[in-house]
Amino acid sequence: MKNDGKRRAFLKVLGLGSVTLGTAGYSVAIEAGKTEKKPHYGMIFDQNKCVGCSDCEVACRKVNEVPQGQVRLYVENKTAPETPMEKKYVRVSCQQCEDAPCVAVCPSKACHRDAKTGIVTMNPDDCIACKYCIVACPYDVRFINHKTKAAENCNFCLNTNMAKGKEPACVESCKYKALVFGDLNDENSYINQILQVKDAVRMKPTFGTKPSLRYIPVVKVGV
Amino acid sequence: MNGAINFTYGFSHGVEWGWPIAVYLLLAGISGGALIIALLVRFYKKQHEDTSLLKAASLVSFSTIAFGMVFLVGDLEKPLYFWKILINYNFASVMSIGVMAISVYIPLTLVMCLYLFEKEISAVLAKKAQLLGYFEMVMVLLKKIRPMIEVLSVIFAVIICAYTGFLISVLVRFPILNTAILPALFVVSGLSAGTASAGMVASYFFKEDAHSPDLKTLHTIEWPIMAVEIMLIAMLFVSLLVGNEFQQSTTIAFKSGIYANLFWFGVMGVGFGLPLVLNFALGKHVAHSHAAFYLSGMASVAGVLCLRMFIIYAGQTFGV
Repeated sequence: MKNDGKRRAFLKVLGLGSVTLGTAGYSVAIEAGKTEKKPHYGMIFDQNKCVGCSDCEVACRKVNEVPQGQVRLYVENKTAPETPMEKKYVRVSCQQCEDAPCVAVCPSKACHRDAKTGIVTMNPDDCIACKYCIVACPYDVRFINHKTKAAENCNFCLNTNMAKGKEPACVESCKYKALVFGDLNDENSYINQILQVKDAVRMKPTFGTKPSLRYIPVVKVGV
Repeated sequence: MNGAINFTYGFSHGVEWGWPIAVYLLLAGISGGALIIALLVRFYKKQHEDTSLLKAASLVSFSTIAFGMVFLVGDLEKPLYFWKILINYNFASVMSIGVMAISVYIPLTLVMCLYLFEKEISAVLAKKAQLLGYFEMVMVLLKKIRPMIEVLSVIFAVIICAYTGFLISVLVRFPILNTAILPALFVVSGLSAGTASAGMVASYFFKEDAHSPDLKTLHTIEWPIMAVEIMLIAMLFVSLLVGNEFQQSTTIAFKSGIYANLFWFGVMGVGFGLPLVLNFALGKHVAHSHAAFYLSGMASVAGVLCLRMFIIYAGQTFGV
């Protein structure tokens, strides 16, 4: 009998406990649902459309005041020597990783994720130019700006064009619409509509840094 | 489909972290290694007096880490802004963690120097009675916590040696660097260079006899340390050789070109070969000479410098 009473008391506590915890958990879940989705900006480079005119490079350098001889964005000619008539170009720029090593290794938090947009960007004033981010980047797309003496990367024109409500300079300048910029978290965005119908890949995905740039490669069809 | 598109162009200029970093890695290794060895000898032999070895090791560890800071800050493109690193900590960054460890470690080595050179400092301060008074007051307080300071010094010396390895082993782009073995290799090669440096300084500046019990102990443990170092380098090489496509392509660094020469002549020849030949191959007369003692010590340190240079340069040259 004694034991029975104890067991009953124990069950009571257990029951009450689960009810309170359950409701508490439910209310927390509701709270989480209310918060608005943060944007996740991404970009598509369509190799089928790029002709290698490098208008994007010129626009980028002008808008972001990149010093002479340096680039945030480069169009690399990857045409195979065996097939010189099949031109292939690739965009080389910051891949805007979700798990960005540059942000992780920066000792002075100069390289950071912008709070509002989630874009990986730079605070040149806090940068001590230790070059840790440059060697930590799996894509080798960071450099020390000769003028500011701070590390720099493509930040989708966060402080220039985006601040004025415009698209990144490279996207604006592309005559062939090889670049698409948009919010990957917005289901109705144009970038998501394209990703739903086109096969796109990420560069070096095995590094596990979850890059936000997508590439639509030229593929051989009908062979 | 991932092989369908890639880029090979990069915005960096090959080796972004050059020789100043390699020299800093050597100095940090010597600093940590010397202090670890001297304090472990002290604990193991239950010494209570201040030995020449500990004197030498304290001086070496403080001066090398302080000198190392010159290279570390000098390598920044904005050296005058180095203080930003001290006010903006990023706990995910090995560099930040290292800076924190260094800011504990340098004061520890300084306090060790104060213990070991109390008499000398008092003699210098003798003319200024007021300063001498302050100094003695501080020393009374410090002496009460000496056992704790010694244990902390060993712990932080290991952290300093290991962090320099982790600092570059997190760089995923470079297969030679991005290995689990690198921090271990840096601790062991630090011990090797630290042992040699502490021994030479003890003998040259503090007139410790090259055949005294302490230096004999150092001379005995020198060889097992060297054996472990060779083993770790061999393991690093094998792991690259049997690794994926990118790892395999980096083994060329050991086989041909300037880095292979640096490795085989510098690391293997000078660092391991010369001390072994001097101590074992040329008979007892040479092995017990003063010249052999200093030459083999300097060869060990030079070998570790070559190892750091090889790792830094070859490591950053062969990227994915």
